[in-house]
Amino acid sequence: MTKDEIISSGIMETYVLGIASHDEVALINRLCLEFPEINNELELIEKSLIHYASQTSKPLNPVLKNEIVSQLEFSAKENNATKVISIAKSERRLKLYKYGMAACLFLLITSLAYNLLLNEKLKNLVVELQKSEDEQNYAVKEININKLALASIRQQLQIVAKPKVITVVLNGMNSLAKNSAKIHWNTVTDELYFNASQLPKSPDSKQYQLWAIVAGRPVDAGIINWSDSGGIFQKMNLIKGAQAFAVTIEKVGGSVTPTLETMCLLGNV
Amino acid sequence: MIKQNYTHDQLIELVRNRNQQAFSYLYDNYSQALFGVIHSILNDFEESEDVLQKTFLKIWNSFSSYDEKKGRLYTWMLNIARNLAIDTTRSRHEKMKTKIQSRDENVDRYEGKMFIEETSHETIGLKKIVQTLKEEHKVIIDLAYFEGYTQEEISKKLNLPLGSVKTKVRQAILRLRELTKDEYLN
Repeated sequence: MTKDEIISSGIMETYVLGIASHDEVALINRLCLEFPEINNELELIEKSLIHYASQTSKPLNPVLKNEIVSQLEFSAKENNATKVISIAKSERRLKLYKYGMAACLFLLITSLAYNLLLNEKLKNLVVELQKSEDEQNYAVKEININKLALASIRQQLQIVAKPKVITVVLNGMNSLAKNSAKIHWNTVTDELYFNASQLPKSPDSKQYQLWAIVAGRPVDAGIINWSDSGGIFQKMNLIKGAQAFAVTIEKVGGSVTPTLETMCLLGNV
Repeated sequence: MIKQNYTHDQLIELVRNRNQQAFSYLYDNYSQALFGVIHSILNDFEESEDVLQKTFLKIWNSFSSYDEKKGRLYTWMLNIARNLAIDTTRSRHEKMKTKIQSRDENVDRYEGKMFIEETSHETIGLKKIVQTLKEEHKVIIDLAYFEGYTQEEISKKLNLPLGSVKTKVRQAILRLRELTKDEYLN
Protein backbone atom coordinates (compact mmCIF):
# COMPACT_ATOMS: atom_id res chain seq x y z
CA MET A 1 0.00 0.00 0.00
CA THR A 2 1.23 3.45 -0.81
CA LYS A 3 1.03 6.31 1.62
CA ASP A 4 -2.03 7.76 -0.12
CA GLU A 5 -3.73 4.38 -0.24
CA ILE A 6 -3.24 4.07 3.48
CA ILE A 7 -4.62 7.53 4.07
CA SER A 8 -7.75 6.73 2.07
CA SER A 9 -8.19 3.20 3.46
CA GLY A 10 -9.76 4.18 6.77
CA ILE A 11 -7.00 2.43 8.78
CA MET A 12 -5.99 5.73 10.34
CA GLU A 13 -9.53 6.49 11.48
CA THR A 14 -9.86 3.06 13.10
CA TYR A 15 -6.41 3.62 14.64
CA VAL A 16 -7.57 6.78 16.41
CA LEU A 17 -10.84 5.13 17.45
CA GLY A 18 -8.85 2.27 19.00
CA ILE A 19 -10.43 -0.43 16.86
CA ALA A 20 -7.54 -1.11 14.44
CA SER A 21 -5.86 -4.53 14.46
CA HIS A 22 -2.36 -5.13 15.90
CA ASP A 23 -0.80 -5.20 12.45
CA GLU A 24 -2.56 -2.00 11.43
CA VAL A 25 -1.40 -0.26 14.62
CA ALA A 26 2.18 -1.35 13.96
CA LEU A 27 1.93 -0.16 10.36
CA ILE A 28 0.67 3.28 11.32
CA ASN A 29 3.30 3.66 14.05
CA ARG A 30 6.02 2.87 11.52
CA LEU A 31 4.63 5.32 8.94
CA CYS A 32 4.31 8.08 11.55
CA LEU A 33 8.05 8.01 12.08
CA GLU A 34 8.63 8.13 8.33
CA PHE A 35 6.02 10.63 7.13
CA PRO A 36 5.03 13.75 9.05
CA GLU A 37 1.87 13.94 6.90
CA ILE A 38 0.61 10.72 8.43
CA ASN A 39 1.08 12.11 11.89
CA ASN A 40 -0.61 15.31 10.82
CA GLU A 41 -3.54 13.41 9.39
CA LEU A 42 -3.92 11.44 12.63
CA GLU A 43 -4.05 14.69 14.58
CA LEU A 44 -6.76 16.11 12.34
CA ILE A 45 -8.87 12.96 12.70
CA GLU A 46 -8.38 13.06 16.46
CA LYS A 47 -9.28 16.74 16.61
CA SER A 48 -12.55 16.23 14.76
CA LEU A 49 -13.47 13.31 17.03
CA ILE A 50 -12.65 15.32 20.14
CA HIS A 51 -14.66 18.22 18.83
CA TYR A 52 -17.58 15.96 18.03
CA ALA A 53 -17.70 14.22 21.41
CA SER A 54 -17.36 17.57 23.18
CA GLN A 55 -20.59 18.69 21.59
CA THR A 56 -22.72 15.73 22.52
CA SER A 57 -23.34 16.94 26.05
CA LYS A 58 -23.78 20.09 28.07
CA PRO A 59 -20.59 21.77 29.36
CA LEU A 60 -18.99 20.30 32.46
CA ASN A 61 -19.21 21.98 35.83
CA PRO A 62 -15.88 23.88 36.19
CA VAL A 63 -15.70 22.87 39.87
CA LEU A 64 -15.09 19.27 38.83
CA LYS A 65 -11.52 19.97 37.73
CA ASN A 66 -10.39 21.13 41.17
CA GLU A 67 -12.16 18.21 42.78
CA ILE A 68 -10.12 15.84 40.65
CA VAL A 69 -6.85 17.76 41.08
CA SER A 70 -7.22 17.58 44.86
CA GLN A 71 -7.17 13.77 44.63
CA LEU A 72 -4.01 13.49 42.56
CA GLU A 73 -0.33 13.49 43.39
CA PHE A 74 2.04 15.70 41.44
CA SER A 75 5.78 16.10 41.31
CA ALA A 76 7.24 19.15 43.05
CA LYS A 77 6.69 22.24 40.93
CA GLU A 78 9.45 23.06 38.54
CA ASN A 79 9.97 26.30 36.72
CA ASN A 80 12.77 28.25 35.12
CA ALA A 81 13.40 30.37 38.18
CA THR A 82 14.15 27.39 40.35
CA LYS A 83 16.35 25.94 37.62
CA VAL A 84 18.45 29.11 37.53
CA ILE A 85 18.76 29.05 41.27
CA SER A 86 19.70 25.44 41.19
CA ILE A 87 22.51 26.13 38.71
CA ALA A 88 23.83 28.89 40.96
CA LYS A 89 23.47 26.50 43.84
CA SER A 90 25.34 23.78 42.05
CA GLU A 91 28.18 26.20 41.26
CA ARG A 92 28.35 27.16 44.88
CA ARG A 93 28.26 23.49 45.73
CA LEU A 94 31.12 22.83 43.31
CA LYS A 95 33.18 25.52 45.06
CA LEU A 96 32.32 24.00 48.39
CA TYR A 97 33.44 20.63 47.07
CA LYS A 98 36.78 22.14 46.02
CA TYR A 99 37.35 23.64 49.46
CA GLY A 100 36.14 20.42 50.98
CA MET A 101 38.60 18.40 48.93
CA ALA A 102 41.47 20.75 49.84
CA ALA A 103 40.55 20.52 53.51
CA CYS A 104 40.34 16.74 53.27
CA LEU A 105 43.77 16.53 51.62
CA PHE A 106 45.28 18.79 54.25
CA LEU A 107 43.75 16.71 57.00
CA LEU A 108 44.94 13.52 55.35
CA ILE A 109 48.55 14.75 55.09
CA THR A 110 48.51 16.10 58.64
CA SER A 111 47.08 12.86 59.86
CA LEU A 112 49.75 10.82 58.03
CA ALA A 113 52.53 12.98 59.49
CA TYR A 114 51.04 12.69 62.94
CA ASN A 115 50.78 8.95 62.47
CA LEU A 116 54.48 8.71 61.63
CA LEU A 117 55.34 10.78 64.69
CA LEU A 118 53.13 8.65 66.90
CA ASN A 119 54.61 5.49 65.43
CA GLU A 120 58.12 6.70 66.31
CA LYS A 121 57.01 7.56 69.83
CA LEU A 122 55.38 4.18 70.12
CA LYS A 123 58.62 2.44 69.14
CA ASN A 124 60.52 4.37 71.83
CA LEU A 125 57.86 3.51 74.35
CA VAL A 126 58.11 -0.17 73.49
CA VAL A 127 61.89 -0.07 74.01
CA GLU A 128 61.47 1.74 77.30
CA LEU A 129 58.80 -0.66 78.39
CA GLN A 130 61.11 -3.59 77.61
CA LYS A 131 63.83 -1.93 79.66
CA SER A 132 61.59 -1.37 82.63
CA GLU A 133 60.29 -4.91 82.36
CA ASP A 134 63.86 -6.18 82.49
CA GLU A 135 64.51 -3.97 85.48
CA GLN A 136 61.43 -5.27 87.15
CA ASN A 137 62.43 -8.87 86.51
CA TYR A 138 65.85 -8.12 87.94
CA ALA A 139 64.28 -6.51 90.99
CA VAL A 140 62.04 -9.51 91.49
CA LYS A 141 65.08 -11.79 91.31
CA GLU A 142 66.89 -9.59 93.82
CA ILE A 143 63.95 -9.72 96.13
CA ASN A 144 63.79 -13.50 95.84
CA ILE A 145 67.50 -13.74 96.56
CA ASN A 146 67.08 -11.47 99.54
CA LYS A 147 64.15 -13.50 100.74
CA LEU A 148 66.24 -16.65 100.57
CA ALA A 149 69.09 -14.89 102.37
CA LEU A 150 66.71 -13.66 105.03
CA ALA A 151 65.25 -17.12 105.46
CA SER A 152 68.70 -18.61 105.86
CA ILE A 153 69.69 -15.91 108.37
CA ARG A 154 66.53 -16.57 110.36
CA GLN A 155 67.36 -20.28 110.35
CA GLN A 156 70.91 -19.55 111.55
CA LEU A 157 69.56 -17.30 114.23
CA GLN A 158 67.17 -20.00 115.43
CA ILE A 159 70.02 -22.49 115.61
CA VAL A 160 72.28 -20.10 117.51
CA ALA A 161 69.59 -18.81 119.84
CA LYS A 162 68.73 -22.21 121.34
CA PRO A 163 69.63 -22.31 125.11
CA LYS A 164 71.83 -25.42 124.97
CA VAL A 165 73.99 -24.10 122.14
CA ILE A 166 77.38 -22.80 123.07
CA THR A 167 79.52 -20.63 120.82
CA VAL A 168 83.26 -21.11 120.63
CA VAL A 169 85.43 -18.46 118.96
CA LEU A 170 88.20 -19.90 116.82
CA ASN A 171 91.16 -17.51 116.64
CA GLY A 172 93.33 -17.25 113.55
CA MET A 173 96.96 -18.32 113.50
CA ASN A 174 99.70 -18.84 110.90
CA SER A 175 98.22 -18.02 107.42
CA LEU A 176 94.87 -16.85 108.92
CA ALA A 177 96.36 -14.81 111.75
CA LYS A 178 94.11 -11.87 110.97
CA ASN A 179 90.90 -13.93 110.70
CA SER A 180 88.52 -15.67 113.06
CA ALA A 181 85.50 -17.98 112.97
CA LYS A 182 82.91 -19.42 115.34
CA ILE A 183 81.54 -22.81 116.28
CA HIS A 184 77.96 -23.26 117.50
CA TRP A 185 77.61 -26.55 119.29
CA ASN A 186 74.46 -27.98 120.78
CA THR A 187 75.70 -29.99 123.72
CA VAL A 188 72.39 -31.87 124.00
CA THR A 189 71.84 -32.90 120.38
CA ASP A 190 75.61 -32.83 119.45
CA GLU A 191 74.77 -30.74 116.38
CA LEU A 192 77.69 -28.63 115.25
CA TYR A 193 77.80 -25.58 112.95
CA PHE A 194 80.77 -23.75 111.47
CA ASN A 195 80.25 -20.02 111.08
CA ALA A 196 82.66 -17.65 109.36
CA SER A 197 81.84 -14.22 107.97
CA GLN A 198 85.11 -13.90 106.13
CA LEU A 199 87.38 -16.76 105.21
CA PRO A 200 90.00 -16.52 102.44
CA LYS A 201 89.87 -19.09 99.65
CA SER A 202 91.90 -22.19 100.46
CA PRO A 203 94.99 -22.75 98.28
CA ASP A 204 94.46 -24.70 95.05
CA SER A 205 93.61 -28.38 95.46
CA LYS A 206 93.29 -27.88 99.24
CA GLN A 207 90.29 -27.66 101.56
CA TYR A 208 89.66 -26.50 105.10
CA GLN A 209 88.88 -29.33 107.52
CA LEU A 210 87.36 -28.96 111.04
CA TRP A 211 88.60 -31.10 113.90
CA ALA A 212 87.22 -31.61 117.41
CA ILE A 213 89.59 -32.43 120.20
CA VAL A 214 87.91 -35.11 122.25
CA ALA A 215 89.82 -36.59 125.19
CA GLY A 216 93.05 -35.09 123.75
CA ARG A 217 92.61 -36.71 120.33
CA PRO A 218 91.55 -35.05 117.07
CA VAL A 219 88.19 -36.22 115.64
CA ASP A 220 87.14 -35.36 112.07
CA ALA A 221 84.22 -32.88 112.19
CA GLY A 222 83.86 -32.49 108.42
CA ILE A 223 85.17 -30.59 105.40
CA ILE A 224 84.29 -26.91 105.11
CA ASN A 225 82.73 -25.93 101.78
CA TRP A 226 84.14 -22.54 100.89
CA SER A 227 81.78 -20.21 99.01
CA ASP A 228 82.46 -17.17 96.80
CA SER A 229 80.76 -14.76 99.14
CA GLY A 230 83.26 -15.74 101.81
CA GLY A 231 80.49 -16.11 104.39
CA ILE A 232 79.98 -19.66 105.60
CA PHE A 233 77.36 -21.19 107.90
CA GLN A 234 77.60 -24.93 107.56
CA LYS A 235 76.33 -27.90 109.52
CA MET A 236 79.20 -30.25 110.45
CA ASN A 237 79.41 -33.78 111.84
CA LEU A 238 77.85 -34.61 115.22
CA ILE A 239 80.41 -34.22 118.01
CA LYS A 240 80.23 -35.34 121.65
CA GLY A 241 82.36 -34.11 124.60
CA ALA A 242 84.81 -31.89 122.72
CA GLN A 243 87.30 -29.73 124.66
CA ALA A 244 88.57 -27.71 121.70
CA PHE A 245 88.06 -27.17 117.92
CA ALA A 246 90.64 -26.56 115.22
CA VAL A 247 90.75 -26.01 111.46
CA THR A 248 93.61 -27.31 109.26
CA ILE A 249 94.26 -27.08 105.51
CA GLU A 250 94.15 -30.55 104.00
CA LYS A 251 94.11 -32.15 100.58
CA VAL A 252 90.82 -32.24 98.70
CA GLY A 253 88.48 -34.74 100.28
CA GLY A 254 90.10 -34.31 103.68
CA SER A 255 92.59 -36.35 105.76
CA VAL A 256 92.15 -38.98 108.45
CA THR A 257 94.54 -37.21 110.80
CA PRO A 258 95.18 -33.46 110.89
CA THR A 259 98.38 -31.91 109.52
CA LEU A 260 99.44 -29.81 112.47
CA GLU A 261 101.67 -27.51 110.38
CA THR A 262 98.67 -26.22 108.46
CA MET A 263 96.50 -25.45 111.51
CA CYS A 264 94.98 -21.99 110.96
CA LEU A 265 92.11 -21.64 113.47
CA LEU A 266 91.88 -22.83 117.08
CA GLY A 267 89.58 -22.29 120.07
CA ASN A 268 88.89 -23.93 123.42
CA VAL A 269 85.42 -24.75 124.68
CA MET B 1 -4.12 31.37 32.22
CA ILE B 2 -1.60 31.03 29.42
CA LYS B 3 -2.64 28.30 26.98
CA GLN B 4 0.35 26.17 26.24
CA ASN B 5 0.65 23.84 23.34
CA TYR B 6 2.52 20.62 23.74
CA THR B 7 3.37 18.07 21.10
CA HIS B 8 2.07 14.57 21.65
CA ASP B 9 5.48 13.35 22.86
CA GLN B 10 6.07 16.38 25.10
CA LEU B 11 2.72 15.91 26.78
CA ILE B 12 3.38 12.21 27.43
CA GLU B 13 6.80 13.02 28.88
CA LEU B 14 5.33 15.68 31.20
CA VAL B 15 2.53 13.41 32.37
CA ARG B 16 5.09 10.68 33.09
CA ASN B 17 6.89 13.22 35.28
CA ARG B 18 3.64 13.88 37.19
CA ASN B 19 3.68 17.51 36.09
CA GLN B 20 0.67 19.41 37.34
CA GLN B 21 0.53 21.75 34.34
CA ALA B 22 0.40 18.71 32.10
CA PHE B 23 -2.61 17.44 34.01
CA SER B 24 -4.27 20.81 33.62
CA TYR B 25 -3.61 20.63 29.89
CA LEU B 26 -5.02 17.10 29.66
CA TYR B 27 -8.13 18.10 31.51
CA ASP B 28 -8.71 21.33 29.60
CA ASN B 29 -8.30 19.69 26.21
CA TYR B 30 -9.91 16.29 26.69
CA SER B 31 -12.34 16.32 29.62
CA GLN B 32 -15.32 17.62 27.65
CA ALA B 33 -14.81 15.05 24.88
CA LEU B 34 -14.32 12.17 27.31
CA PHE B 35 -17.36 13.37 29.21
CA GLY B 36 -19.30 13.38 25.92
CA VAL B 37 -18.34 9.74 25.34
CA ILE B 38 -19.28 8.74 28.88
CA HIS B 39 -22.52 10.67 28.74
CA SER B 40 -23.44 9.10 25.41
CA ILE B 41 -23.23 5.71 27.11
CA LEU B 42 -24.80 6.53 30.48
CA ASN B 43 -27.16 9.37 29.58
CA ASP B 44 -27.11 10.64 33.15
CA PHE B 45 -25.25 13.86 33.85
CA GLU B 46 -24.33 13.25 37.50
CA GLU B 47 -23.39 9.64 36.99
CA SER B 48 -21.27 10.69 34.02
CA GLU B 49 -19.46 13.24 36.19
CA ASP B 50 -18.58 10.48 38.66
CA VAL B 51 -17.28 8.29 35.88
CA LEU B 52 -15.27 11.18 34.40
CA GLN B 53 -13.67 11.69 37.81
CA LYS B 54 -12.78 7.98 37.98
CA THR B 55 -11.47 8.20 34.43
CA PHE B 56 -9.01 10.98 35.22
CA LEU B 57 -7.89 9.31 38.44
CA LYS B 58 -7.19 6.17 36.47
CA ILE B 59 -5.42 8.06 33.68
CA TRP B 60 -3.14 9.73 36.22
CA ASN B 61 -2.54 6.83 38.54
CA SER B 62 -2.01 4.11 35.96
CA PHE B 63 -0.21 6.17 33.38
CA SER B 64 2.75 3.78 33.57
CA SER B 65 0.60 1.27 31.67
CA TYR B 66 0.23 3.61 28.70
CA ASP B 67 2.30 2.40 25.75
CA GLU B 68 2.82 4.78 22.81
CA LYS B 69 3.33 1.77 20.56
CA LYS B 70 -0.27 0.71 21.06
CA GLY B 71 -1.86 4.00 20.08
CA ARG B 72 -2.26 7.67 20.71
CA LEU B 73 -2.78 9.12 24.15
CA TYR B 74 -6.35 10.20 23.38
CA THR B 75 -7.20 6.71 22.15
CA TRP B 76 -5.90 5.23 25.40
CA MET B 77 -7.87 7.74 27.51
CA LEU B 78 -10.94 7.12 25.37
CA ASN B 79 -10.68 3.39 26.10
CA ILE B 80 -10.49 4.03 29.84
CA ALA B 81 -13.51 6.36 29.77
CA ARG B 82 -15.51 3.98 27.58
CA ASN B 83 -14.72 0.91 29.67
CA LEU B 84 -15.55 2.61 32.96
CA ALA B 85 -18.84 3.87 31.51
CA ILE B 86 -19.74 0.45 30.11
CA ASP B 87 -18.86 -1.15 33.48
CA THR B 88 -21.27 1.32 35.07
CA THR B 89 -24.09 0.35 32.72
CA ARG B 90 -23.41 -3.30 33.53
CA SER B 91 -23.68 -2.74 37.27
CA ARG B 92 -26.75 -0.68 36.55
CA HIS B 93 -28.15 -3.63 34.58
CA GLU B 94 -27.31 -5.95 37.47
CA LYS B 95 -29.25 -3.71 39.83
CA MET B 96 -32.16 -3.61 37.43
CA LYS B 97 -32.08 -7.36 37.04
CA THR B 98 -32.27 -7.97 40.76
CA LYS B 99 -35.03 -5.40 41.08
CA ILE B 100 -37.24 -6.61 38.33
CA GLN B 101 -36.59 -10.19 37.38
CA SER B 102 -38.32 -9.72 34.09
CA ARG B 103 -37.59 -7.95 30.83
CA ASP B 104 -35.54 -8.93 27.88
CA GLU B 105 -32.09 -9.75 29.31
CA ASN B 106 -30.40 -9.43 25.95
CA VAL B 107 -31.31 -5.83 25.38
CA ASP B 108 -29.01 -4.66 22.68
CA ARG B 109 -26.70 -2.02 24.07
CA TYR B 110 -27.12 0.22 21.07
CA GLU B 111 -30.86 -0.07 20.80
CA GLY B 112 -31.20 0.50 24.51
CA LYS B 113 -29.22 3.64 24.19
CA MET B 114 -31.24 4.91 21.27
CA PHE B 115 -34.35 4.40 23.27
CA ILE B 116 -33.05 6.39 26.22
CA GLU B 117 -31.71 9.11 23.95
CA GLU B 118 -35.03 9.67 22.32
CA THR B 119 -36.76 10.12 25.63
CA SER B 120 -33.99 12.24 27.17
CA HIS B 121 -34.22 16.00 27.39
CA GLU B 122 -30.49 16.39 27.81
CA THR B 123 -29.83 16.39 24.08
CA ILE B 124 -31.81 19.57 23.65
CA GLY B 125 -29.69 22.61 22.83
CA LEU B 126 -26.68 20.82 21.45
CA LYS B 127 -24.60 22.37 18.73
CA LYS B 128 -25.29 21.85 15.12
CA ILE B 129 -22.65 19.28 14.17
CA VAL B 130 -24.45 16.56 16.04
CA GLN B 131 -27.69 17.63 14.42
CA THR B 132 -26.38 18.11 10.91
CA LEU B 133 -24.45 14.84 10.73
CA LYS B 134 -26.30 12.38 8.52
CA GLU B 135 -27.89 9.50 10.37
CA GLU B 136 -25.84 6.82 8.58
CA HIS B 137 -22.61 8.60 9.53
CA LYS B 138 -23.77 9.27 13.07
CA VAL B 139 -24.65 5.62 13.63
CA ILE B 140 -21.29 4.30 12.53
CA ILE B 141 -19.33 6.93 14.49
CA ASP B 142 -21.38 6.33 17.61
CA LEU B 143 -20.85 2.58 17.38
CA ALA B 144 -17.09 2.80 16.81
CA TYR B 145 -16.44 5.82 19.00
CA PHE B 146 -18.86 5.73 21.90
CA GLU B 147 -19.80 2.10 22.10
CA GLY B 148 -16.35 0.73 21.30
CA TYR B 149 -17.64 -1.80 18.81
CA THR B 150 -14.96 -3.75 16.95
CA GLN B 151 -14.90 -3.73 13.16
CA GLU B 152 -16.46 -7.24 13.17
CA GLU B 153 -19.23 -6.14 15.53
CA ILE B 154 -19.99 -3.12 13.35
CA SER B 155 -20.09 -5.29 10.22
CA LYS B 156 -22.57 -7.66 11.87
CA LYS B 157 -24.61 -4.88 13.40
CA LEU B 158 -24.99 -2.87 10.21
CA ASN B 159 -24.96 -5.80 7.81
CA LEU B 160 -21.87 -4.51 6.06
CA PRO B 161 -19.06 -6.60 4.58
CA LEU B 162 -16.10 -6.51 7.03
CA GLY B 163 -13.89 -4.98 4.30
CA SER B 164 -16.07 -1.93 3.91
CA VAL B 165 -16.31 -1.00 7.61
CA LYS B 166 -13.09 0.99 7.46
CA THR B 167 -14.26 2.86 4.36
CA LYS B 168 -17.56 3.71 5.98
CA VAL B 169 -15.80 4.88 9.12
CA ARG B 170 -13.53 7.02 6.99
CA GLN B 171 -16.42 8.56 5.08
CA ALA B 172 -18.23 9.41 8.31
CA ILE B 173 -15.19 11.01 9.83
CA LEU B 174 -14.40 12.93 6.66
CA ARG B 175 -17.85 14.40 6.87
CA LEU B 176 -17.25 15.21 10.50
CA ARG B 177 -14.03 16.97 9.57
CA GLU B 178 -15.79 19.08 6.97
CA LEU B 179 -18.40 20.12 9.49
CA THR B 180 -15.73 20.87 12.07
CA LYS B 181 -13.83 22.98 9.55
CA ASP B 182 -17.04 24.85 8.67
CA GLU B 183 -17.66 25.54 12.30
CA TYR B 184 -14.18 26.88 12.83
CA LEU B 185 -14.57 29.09 9.78
CA ASN B 186 -17.89 30.47 10.92
